[in-house]
Order: sequence, then C-alpha cells, then structure tokens
Amino acid sequence: MTPIESLIYMLVFPGFLFLTSYAFFCQYLDRKLYARFQKRVGPPFIQPIADFIKLLAKEDIVPKAADNRMFSAAPIVGLAAVLTAFIFIPVLALHSVIPSFEGDLIVVLYLLTIPTLAIFLAGWTSGNPFGQVGAMRAIVQMISYEIPFFLALLAPALIVGSWSLGRILDYQLGGMWLVIFAPLAVIIAIVTLQGKLERLPFDIPDAETEIVGGPLTEYSGRRLALFRAMLDVEMVVGAALIVTLFFGGYDLIISFSDLPWYLPVLLNAVIFFVKVLFIVGILALIKAVVARYRIDQMVSLSYRWLIPLSVAQIVFIVVLKFGGWLI
Amino acid sequence: MFEKMVKLSRVKSPWVCHFNSGSCNGCDIEIIAALMPRFDAERFGVLLKGSPRHADVLLCTGPVTGQMKERLIKIYEQMPEPKFVVAFGECACTGAVYTGAYNVEGGIDKVIPVNAYVPGCPPKPEAILDGVVKLLTAFKESE
Repeated sequence: MTPIESLIYMLVFPGFLFLTSYAFFCQYLDRKLYARFQKRVGPPFIQPIADFIKLLAKEDIVPKAADNRMFSAAPIVGLAAVLTAFIFIPVLALHSVIPSFEGDLIVVLYLLTIPTLAIFLAGWTSGNPFGQVGAMRAIVQMISYEIPFFLALLAPALIVGSWSLGRILDYQLGGMWLVIFAPLAVIIAIVTLQGKLERLPFDIPDAETEIVGGPLTEYSGRRLALFRAMLDVEMVVGAALIVTLFFGGYDLIISFSDLPWYLPVLLNAVIFFVKVLFIVGILALIKAVVARYRIDQMVSLSYRWLIPLSVAQIVFIVVLKFGGWLI
Repeated sequence: MFEKMVKLSRVKSPWVCHFNSGSCNGCDIEIIAALMPRFDAERFGVLLKGSPRHADVLLCTGPVTGQMKERLIKIYEQMPEPKFVVAFGECACTGAVYTGAYNVEGGIDKVIPVNAYVPGCPPKPEAILDGVVKLLTAFKESE
C-alpha cells in the first residue's frame, strides 16, 4: 500500500472515522435489542451520538484528590489501543495475499488488554473509594477471564499452525469455517468477551447498585465520553476478532468472481460487518437473560469451568491434528 | 448550528441522579416505577446514573432535613454544568406538612436552585416523565 492508502485505511475506512460511527451503531443495536428483549421500546437511533455530543459539551472536572496527568491520559490511551487493534484485522479483500504478519493475533490480544488497564488506572488514580474498589475488581476479573479468552483464541491458531490472522482467514476462505472444529472455543470466547467488556453477567467492576459507577465514578464530561466510546469500539474489535477467527471473516459460501473488481471487495466488507452485528446481537442476548455474578463466583466460574473446558478443546484439536483428520 | 446540535443532544439525553433528602420513600418508589419497562424512560434517553458526576438532572425527593442539607449542597456542587434540579413530590416543592418542624429547612429551593416542580403525594410515574419532558422543552425553547 502507498502511504496515502495507508492513511485512508487508518483514518477513514475501516479505521477511525468508520469504526467509531460503526461502534455507535453497534451500541444503538445493543441497547435497542436489550430493550426489545425486555418488551420495551428502546432508545431512538441517534441516542449514542446524542449521548456522546452531550458529554463532550459538559463541564470537565478533575477532582483535587486525583492524579491529573494519569486521570486525563487513561481514556485517551485506552481508546487509542482499541482503535489500533482494529487495523490488524483483515476487512478488505483488496489483495490476493491478505496483508498480515506472523504474530499479529498476539498484537491484537495485547492491545485488547490495555483498555482494562486504562480502566484500572482511571479508577485507582481518581482518589475515590468507589473508584478504587471498582479498579481492584476490574483487575481481579481480568486475571480470571484473560486466560480462558487467550486459550480459546489459541484454538484456531493451533488448527492452522500460524499466529497470523491473515493465514487463519486464508485457511477458512478455501475450506471450512473453524467454528466447526472448535465450537466450545467460540462459546468460551463469547462469554469471556462479556467479561472483557464489563457487561452482564460480569459487570462486577461497575456494578451500579453496589459501587455507584465503579472505576468511572469520578469521570465526567469528555473523558467519560471517550471511555464510553472506548467500550463500544472494544466491543466491535472483540466481535470482529471472533468473526475473523471462527466465522470465516468476510467469507461467504458464494463466490463473486465474475463481477468487476470493486464490487466483491465492497460485498465482502458488508458481509464482514453484518457478521459482526450478529455477534453483537448474541452479546445483547446474554446481557438480557442473566443476572450479575459476585466477584468470587466469577473467579471460580472461570477457573473451574472455562479454563478446563478451553484446555479440553485444545487437547481435542491436538488429537485431531496429530491423528491426521485435519487438512 | 453547532450550538443547536449541542442543545438538541442535551435535550435528547438527560441522565438522572436520584437523591433522597429526607423523604418518606413514597416518591422514591414512584421514581423506580417510572423507570421500569412499562413506562420505559430510555425511549426519551433517560438513564438512571449512580454518580452525580455523570448526571444532568438531580431528582430530589422529600423536605430538606438539617442533617441532609450539607450533603445535598455537596452532591449538587459535584455535578458538572449544565445541571438541572427537579423537586419531586409535595414535600420537595414546599416542605408540605413538615413546614416549621424543628429539624426541617423546608423545600429543596430553600437550599439549591430548582428548575422544575412536580407536585403530588406521591406524583404518578407519568408525572415525573411529564415533568422531565416539560423541563427539557423549556430548556430547548430558551435562548
């Protein structure tokens, strides 16, 4: 890619501009579906944008007890990390070889950890007891969901024998989607993604009926807006990662080979983002049907069930692979 | 145009923080009832927030007791501008039957500025949504 193309890729489509507006749409869809599951009408279409603009225009308060620099840096670093993570996920089928390098799966997983740390630092440095309790809960929760999440996303990499998202996607374009070989890993990845996004049943860090607003208690105005945007984009990136690894990315069974070159690219991108919407719908469904866990229940759930199950999935894949049943 | 957009967003997303300054709990139950799925306050963008830092509207119930006066002022000052206060229920509006009691300051407006009054003992859930909508309409039409 030329520098201009790269800039457009990062800033316009599918980078910053498109990604944030798509994330707002996903937030709308999530809230609307959540409302419909509860037999409510739900918020209007412009609600996420209205919330964002309102928060941007509000007074900006930094508490006296807070560490000013850390307090301001946390939301920006978190948002930048998730926006960067999306660049590595292959969306456009522009080239015959998908632009990707060995180990970009690790980079994306690493960048997806930063928002949780940003939330932890935000709560810890805000100088509010509720914020500090929420921050501690966020970190305890992180050490319990991160392991099954990583193990679950290791499954496709093991099947393909590569850490590169491009090669994993390439494997699925020719043959079968990896969800067939690793259905358990998909379930675990979706459940732990709920924990990563701090949504029900794992919204323990910002449990509003217990600890006011959790780590974000002291945040107001534009910093809160950035944090909310960060969580939306994180949801999109997590869902996009699951789609790429398990549901064949922009792959669809039909091929568009006899169309002019730009149409298949466009159609593939549309297919990819529609698949992401389905994952967001599943996340909303989980949010609607469950109640909140206590923090000790969450830790024991992930150490007693999710980690053994994901290890079992990996053993299953290793047996398949060395038995010669995988191509 | 930019100003207009900001104003419209403020009208479309009022986040509410609920504060009880010495109420008998009747009004608080009605507030919870107003936020339940049947009335669905979220279709107007109303969300109940625990932290006053996140909120735009402070929903106060009950007369201000001597104990709660300082705390009410503190909570009010923690909210970022622009902020609105709604006095919910008869006691919050005027002090009602508690007027002149040794431990009661009076209505909410004796302590902090109030933008809207919702009378009733307790007001119906419809009344609170009506009150919030009226407050926002007045804000929208103001300059």
